[in-house]
Amino acid sequence: MARYGMALDYKSCINCKACETACKEENGILMGADSHRIWVGTGEIEGQYPMLDIVSNTFYPSQCQHCEEAPCEEVCPTQATYYDEGGIVRVDPEKCILCSYCMNACPYDARYVDNRTMTVDKCNFCADTRLARGETTTACQNTCPTKVRIFGDLDDPNSEISEVLRTREHFSLKANLGTKPKLFYLT
Amino acid sequence: MKIRDYIPMREDFSIKSLLSFEKTAVNILLAAVILGFLALFVVGVAIYLQHGHHAYNVTREHPWGLLIGVYIFFVVSSTGLCIVGSLGDVFGFKDYMMISKRAIFGSIVTIVAGFAVIAFEIGHPVTMLIYNVVSPGLTSAIWWMGTLYGLYLTFMIVEFYFLLNNKMKKARIFGLTGLLVGLAAHSNLGGVFGFLNARQISNGVYYPTYFILTAFITGIFIAFIMFGFRYKLNFPENAKKLLMGLAKIQALLISILIFFVTWKMLTDIYGGMPNRAEVAIHILGSWTFWAEVFLAMLIPLFLIIKDMGRNPIVLFWASMGGMIGIFFMRYNLVHDTQLKPLQMLKLKEYQLAPQWIEYFPSSTEIMISLGGLGLCMLLYYIGTKAFNLDETH
Amino acid sequence: MKVEISRRKFLQGSVVMSVVGATAISATSLLSKGSKPERVSFKNTKTQNGDAHEIATLCEMCVNKCAALARVENGVITKLNPNPMFPKSKNMLCARGNAGIQSVYDPDRLKYPMIRIGEKGEGKFKRVTWDEAYEAILHGTDKFPGLEKILDEEEDNRSSLLFCAGEGMAEHTFKQFYQAFGSANWLNHSSICLQTVASGYGVTIGAYPLADLDNAEYIIMAGANRAEAIVTPDTMDAFKRTKRRGAKLICIDPRFTNTAAKSDKWLAIKPGTDLAFVLALTYVTLTEELHNKEYVAENFNGFDEYQNSVISNKYTPEWAEPITGIKAKDIYTIAREFAAHAPKAVYYPGRRSTFAKNDFQLRRAMAIFQALHGAIDTKGGLVFGSTLPLKEHEGLQPLYEKAQARAMGKKTPNEEGHTGYDDCAVVSGGGSWISWRNRYIEDRMEYNVRGMFCYKHNPMANMPNTAKTAQMLKKMELVVTIDTMPSDTVMYADVVLPECTYLERTDPIKTFGGVEPSFAVRNKVIEPMFESKPVIDILRGLTKKISKPLFEISKKYDEEIQDEIEDSDEESVYAEFDLTLPFLHSQEEINHHSVAMYIGAAEKLDKDGVFYPKQDKYYKQLSVNEYQYYPENKKAYSIKGGKPITPSGKVECVMESFTSKGIDAMPIWRDEYEFNVPKGKFKLLTGRHAQFTQSGTANNTMLLDLMPENFIWINKRVAEMKNIKFADMVEVSSSIGKTRLKAYPTEKIAPDQVFFIHGFGQECEALTWAYKNGGNDNTIIEDHIEPVYGAAAMHETNVEIRKV
Repeated sequence: MARYGMALDYKSCINCKACETACKEENGILMGADSHRIWVGTGEIEGQYPMLDIVSNTFYPSQCQHCEEAPCEEVCPTQATYYDEGGIVRVDPEKCILCSYCMNACPYDARYVDNRTMTVDKCNFCADTRLARGETTTACQNTCPTKVRIFGDLDDPNSEISEVLRTREHFSLKANLGTKPKLFYLT
Repeated sequence: MKIRDYIPMREDFSIKSLLSFEKTAVNILLAAVILGFLALFVVGVAIYLQHGHHAYNVTREHPWGLLIGVYIFFVVSSTGLCIVGSLGDVFGFKDYMMISKRAIFGSIVTIVAGFAVIAFEIGHPVTMLIYNVVSPGLTSAIWWMGTLYGLYLTFMIVEFYFLLNNKMKKARIFGLTGLLVGLAAHSNLGGVFGFLNARQISNGVYYPTYFILTAFITGIFIAFIMFGFRYKLNFPENAKKLLMGLAKIQALLISILIFFVTWKMLTDIYGGMPNRAEVAIHILGSWTFWAEVFLAMLIPLFLIIKDMGRNPIVLFWASMGGMIGIFFMRYNLVHDTQLKPLQMLKLKEYQLAPQWIEYFPSSTEIMISLGGLGLCMLLYYIGTKAFNLDETH
Repeated sequence: MKVEISRRKFLQGSVVMSVVGATAISATSLLSKGSKPERVSFKNTKTQNGDAHEIATLCEMCVNKCAALARVENGVITKLNPNPMFPKSKNMLCARGNAGIQSVYDPDRLKYPMIRIGEKGEGKFKRVTWDEAYEAILHGTDKFPGLEKILDEEEDNRSSLLFCAGEGMAEHTFKQFYQAFGSANWLNHSSICLQTVASGYGVTIGAYPLADLDNAEYIIMAGANRAEAIVTPDTMDAFKRTKRRGAKLICIDPRFTNTAAKSDKWLAIKPGTDLAFVLALTYVTLTEELHNKEYVAENFNGFDEYQNSVISNKYTPEWAEPITGIKAKDIYTIAREFAAHAPKAVYYPGRRSTFAKNDFQLRRAMAIFQALHGAIDTKGGLVFGSTLPLKEHEGLQPLYEKAQARAMGKKTPNEEGHTGYDDCAVVSGGGSWISWRNRYIEDRMEYNVRGMFCYKHNPMANMPNTAKTAQMLKKMELVVTIDTMPSDTVMYADVVLPECTYLERTDPIKTFGGVEPSFAVRNKVIEPMFESKPVIDILRGLTKKISKPLFEISKKYDEEIQDEIEDSDEESVYAEFDLTLPFLHSQEEINHHSVAMYIGAAEKLDKDGVFYPKQDKYYKQLSVNEYQYYPENKKAYSIKGGKPITPSGKVECVMESFTSKGIDAMPIWRDEYEFNVPKGKFKLLTGRHAQFTQSGTANNTMLLDLMPENFIWINKRVAEMKNIKFADMVEVSSSIGKTRLKAYPTEKIAPDQVFFIHGFGQECEALTWAYKNGGNDNTIIEDHIEPVYGAAAMHETNVEIRKV
């Protein structure tokens, strides 16, 4: 039994989108604006040239937060969304009825509809591809040029992610909602 | 016909009787509208079956569209009619007895229409029937809502059966149970929105309670419309009396609703919850909100108060407008919940940062929605031909 | 194991269809297409968990050559992962690297040899066999002449054929063909790439250096955009730890780039004025005596002269402020901070095309500024690194008596008595592409050049003034292209030879110098699809066909050959001219031979793709993301004890030899360098992007999914005045042409400048997704020639913008 999470050294992100592409190739994600499991977001620059606000252009890599109190899991009428043995929030396409309630409930916009199965899909930390083969990294982490991501077991005190979270300040997105995300942004 | 042994149908009911109606301009127009809507339904469903959700303008950011709004419109109507119908046969208000059977039948018809519409919104209705039972999501408001509405429909049908057979006692038991289940289902529908902690504008107790209130209002609007057609606007005294009573209740309910909406807006805007005020202000700027306010609240209230509910013909028309207002009320609820993007950053270089989520229904969604209305009208028409919906003694 | 609808099957299906319909297709345009289909991924299945094997290869989506591990399932490449063993790419693969799969399975790729049957540039081709294609190159068809005819008519002037190539691991293989063929006309990417920066550093400190960004404490990144123009390992080193570890990053760029977004300070500079900025930094350094005096005394040539020049010309920060737009106080601060951190301070050399005409002098000034602090060949500064020697594959360089020298202007003294070439002062090995082209279309050649071989190179899309390139290609009587995709240049070909993509071929082993030197190899991942072949196989077949007949022509005109044959026998003379010799062996054999001196290297390279001595001992994983390649004390930070590696062993401040060619001996500022845009016009800037590599990735659906088209950056306030809103279509025009694309109003750019990325708006209809997708910059960038090396100066064009 593990409890998988991911720490993001987001200040190292250069918005190259290697992660997004690696995710698409690894997990066979369809193309199109709506279909992405992971993404890098940024605000439009603020200020007037040349007095620009660098911080307004910060890059935020993101994806499913794998919340411990996941709203998407709570609202699913058929338990298609579930926590797997690694604490990863996953969708069983067999049970998904595409009521889209989870898409509405997820505070992070992490869910979308896969146009092949017409069921809701999302990041699963490569659980059925890389992790299933015994690999220890996700596609996004592995490919990242500036090594933004650290994936690992939060329950293992010796794991790198546990170590990093013990020693570096971090925050979670929309923490006020009480969803207890397992994506940690290192500052 | 064996079926008549169990269900007391009208003696003259046949396929032929369905086609024979007074050929007035209004009736012909109505027939054309029903057939037209049903044709749209068939076309819409055909497109949906071919293209699935691609035929809808729903997106990742706006996963619920017009069909959810229309579904809510129908099930709220159903709950409302159930409440109106219960006044007589459950709660024993004699004056309202004459509408009970009609209203209960109406509640069945509207919820069937609602189910017909939602069947083409839920991506996998068959999977739903299976896994609703196999792996029920007990923390899900949708599960409770769906399950309770299923039960509710059963109770309504049984109640209607006993009403037709004039077994009032049994009808009352099933009516009361049905009403309670219906109210539970209905407040759960409000809960579907109320439980969304991602959507500050909808989160909380407001929608589950407000839904009961607006259901009652909707039921009364429909009661006016049904009686308007039943009596071709030439109301007998007992009907006038009933409608006057309903009008007074309606005035009270609408006043409460205005109170609700006002306070909702006030707390939304001045309550200081992060990003709720801007959504509320955005809603105030949309014409659909004002369509709701004027058609479903201010105009009917004014017209009722003007004559103290003594002018059922005017109120018939006000109720027609009221139902349009109620439609916008449901549509707004669905759309406004999703107005604010959950992800406010630019994901692509050449993109404007999302501000508000835009949505306009696709033609397929509109066709299926009108089809639902057509189906509802057709079933009601068949009902009037097949059953005696008037009070019998 | 199931791979649902595998790409291979999908494409095999299309092969059958094409074969069946071959006769029908051949008579019509191969390029007729309806409306643009939806973008699809050519591998829309996830990786499977059954049988799979991994092959170590090197990426070719850009020039970096990052190491990749290709996952192959059922003969289909399903994923490209970073190969952690390579010190250069340090366990990373960018978006393009990941999207490389799409380039293999791109349905638009060139599949068969083709010869032209329509008018030149029309894009009408006929599918032929390889032998028919080689035959056409030798003998021509009714539409175009063959080599035999051309060389016979030109009396064996081998230089009547031009050879040009883009950058790549097999460029050398193609170059061997050029050398054996005996032409003097070789044009490669250098003059539209980093010629001036490489040479500027080369003549000043001895080589174009690397930067040890991993250890630098202070980095000035001026005119370089490492967050978007990814260079390994610089990008990772600069951004992975910069902020956390405390290295300060100063970004100097007219645009607010992603690099600016990651910097501690971004200073907007007026385009083309970096030289003034560096001179002002130098002024502060010299007047405040911030430089390493001991180092300078020991290692500089002409320091006093340069110091006098900088000080007497009063290149003060106050002088530079109005020229550059950078505040004087910032210049003082940067000069002082740089000195405080030196030698762990880097004025980043950059790695880009020439933007302004003063680029060569800018690079010299940068190199001298860096050297003033003794921050070269040292940890944390600029480094040369060491290179593992590789046994070169022997080529063939016969002497053809009748072959003329490079067609590149005469060394006639010009009106000021300078003796440089007509087009530019110095002609480098790679030549000056645009001046050669312009001279050619203006009929200013000393002899006839009638045909060209073009390998992995797309002059139509890669250099300024597309109209002139088209004119050149039309004038060439025989154009042979070797490429993987139907590029805009391929459309002008007479013979099209399809090369396989990088994942279908083994390329020559390459030695990667640096602080952590290594060998790496591109191993073949899958067999070439369709009838495509690696360039070495193509040249083997081609030379077999043409070698003997062409020798016959030489025999006819070349008196030396005639004499030699008389002296010995024809066979032994022919052996010196046998074009097939460089291509007799397979690439795998050549590779094994080239590293034979390292025990176990060949096997290691086959298996892991990377080798360096003591790798087994040194290489280890440090954390989930990080690896050690060399222990700290084995890294080649310094190879000459901090000294420059010029022939004199000194930093060359003054290059007297340049004066006679009309080039300033020292970097000085000239008034004509000042930034200037007429009112109502905009300076057009170009630049790189992390998801696209020039025109080469223009048809990659996976990348287009990240950014569907290019937009033109225009200042928000200016756009508002011109009533241009986001995504409005605008027409951008210069003196030579116009293009259309959508607008992106933003404050990231100055009011008098516009920018859009290169490589979009392709003209070839056979590129389903790239065709007319976005704006094409080279149709509007004017062909300004940089005076020293004849490089294309890309930021010298003013444009107008009109909403359409």
